[in-house]
Amino acid sequence: MTLLVSLGVSFLGFAALCLSMARHHQAVWSGPPDRHRTLTLRAAGWGLIALSLAAAIRFDGWNVGPVDWLGSLIGAGLLLIVVQSYRPRALLWMTPVAAAIALVAALGSLV
Amino acid sequence: MKQGFRQSMAWLHTWSGLVVGWVLFAVFVTGTASYYRAEISRWMQPELKREAQVTPEALAAAADLAVVHLQTHAGAARTWFVTLPTPERPLVELFWRNKPGTPPGHVLLDPQTGAPAAMRATRGGDFFYRFHFELNLAPLWGRWIVGICAMVMLVALVSGVITHRRIFADFFTLRRDKAAQRGWLDAHNVSGVLALPFHLMITYTGVVTLALMYMPWGVTAAYKGDQFAYFAETGQITKARPAAGQPGTLAPVGPMVGRALATIPEPLERLTIVNPRDANSTVVAVFEEPHGLSHEHPQVAFAGTSGDVVEVLSGGLKPAAKTFTTMVGLHEAHFAGAALRVLFFLCGLMGCAMVGSGLVLWTVARLPKAGVATGFGWRLVHALNLGTIAGLPAGIAAYFLANRLLPLDLGARAEREVWVFFGAWLAVALVGLWPAPRRAWRGALALVAALFVAVVIVDVATARALWDDPAWFLGFDAALLALAAGFALVSHKVARFAAPRRMRRVMEAPAAAPQMGRA
Repeated sequence: MTLLVSLGVSFLGFAALCLSMARHHQAVWSGPPDRHRTLTLRAAGWGLIALSLAAAIRFDGWNVGPVDWLGSLIGAGLLLIVVQSYRPRALLWMTPVAAAIALVAALGSLV
Repeated sequence: MKQGFRQSMAWLHTWSGLVVGWVLFAVFVTGTASYYRAEISRWMQPELKREAQVTPEALAAAADLAVVHLQTHAGAARTWFVTLPTPERPLVELFWRNKPGTPPGHVLLDPQTGAPAAMRATRGGDFFYRFHFELNLAPLWGRWIVGICAMVMLVALVSGVITHRRIFADFFTLRRDKAAQRGWLDAHNVSGVLALPFHLMITYTGVVTLALMYMPWGVTAAYKGDQFAYFAETGQITKARPAAGQPGTLAPVGPMVGRALATIPEPLERLTIVNPRDANSTVVAVFEEPHGLSHEHPQVAFAGTSGDVVEVLSGGLKPAAKTFTTMVGLHEAHFAGAALRVLFFLCGLMGCAMVGSGLVLWTVARLPKAGVATGFGWRLVHALNLGTIAGLPAGIAAYFLANRLLPLDLGARAEREVWVFFGAWLAVALVGLWPAPRRAWRGALALVAALFVAVVIVDVATARALWDDPAWFLGFDAALLALAAGFALVSHKVARFAAPRRMRRVMEAPAAAPQMGRA
């Protein structure tokens, strides 16, 4: 359950980093991102990845937390790479779903 | 000859990876399967009925029954190992070590009656676990081969990272519309880079688990080669109590089990009884690891003849020993719950994909031009690739099939299952000699998919009546079907492999026609 939080947030972080690159941005929207958009997406990406580490440590402690974090980064990254390679536009609905799952799981773990 | 640093590293990566790749693939596949070792064992013995709970009294009674069996059947043994029943596996497993040169003994008992359990004989998931680091060879040979391959793998990993020019720019890139070589390289890069933390961790900690065997000199110098003295002094096992040379009578172990359970709040896993008929016999109760990364079993040692506690070992490792046990713990991932275990399994699969795609990439990058005959080296690598990448999964499927199909009363049944494993592997490896490489790949992979489907069909047909939890068994079968689907998909992709070129020709033709018409 707590793993879903870091999985969802890592997915969002990787998605933002991925879309900050011209090649992958073009696969979803027409044209490459402008400078402002690139920087925003990049900052959001790294911020979300840091947030997923913070969440993993908050929920599972310093012992297992970092292992959870790396595991969820790898799992989320694999899903993202497969999706953006075969169905890039699916990211448009997958990112809100990932955000919702992470949010619900986080609320569920905090209560 | 002057070469850049990166070219040298590329050369090193290519050849270090190729030389050990086949062994590494087998180690990765069986290691990945070992994350579900207990589940595989359970699936392979469908007669087993789980229980809601095992009470401390039942544990003590089971231990007493185990000792009765060992006294009659293994009186002369040096050491007895008694694995106690758990709700997941309500069986008593006995293992005993005889005089050097005599094979060890092994039996499964019913904890209620003390009679041998009515189960089909199989090595279950333990076969994959041991193959992972011993390759089914003599332990010394197997561990050295696997260890050397793992050390070379570290070389391949580091040189691979250096070789990879666009590690961040291509992080998310998986091109499928370009040449075959590009696609394989992307697949190799993605599986390697994305799971790099896992690959580095698993390779390094894998070498570390057997580091004492590869580098014994410290212990040789400080402890005169007595590894047990070293383990005891670092607090990983209880102190050895040498045999007195006088016969002694073992006190009842049931009360010792009770006292051990009262001392340590973890589930009790097994008893080790050293020199059982000596006046200085020792009974060690070994518990499951407490929650945490570190692989350390709390232990309580008893004097065997009196039943008095002589040592309690629970936590308190020094930093060096703690580092070692944490590395072993990370490698084995016993701490991982169901969800994290899935991620570890996924990482293992990505390791298999990285090694497999690297091996295939070697042949794809060296494909001869049309009309030119392939050289001996290319054919050798191709045959070994196919033999390993398709052969090993075929062997695993055949091993599962044998588990369901071999007669239950067959002599040496467990060994025959292993024969079937190697027989199927060898048979598929021979397909690699087929002169048309692509058709060989396609056929072999389709065969693997068919074998996994056959496992599920045979399981449902023959073992359905035995399942104590149908949903669990159907879940395992669904995982096998997913594997089959994966192999079928790859087989299909291999068959369609030339399609882009053919498609281009088809597309060029209609495009050319209207121009002709207009002209």
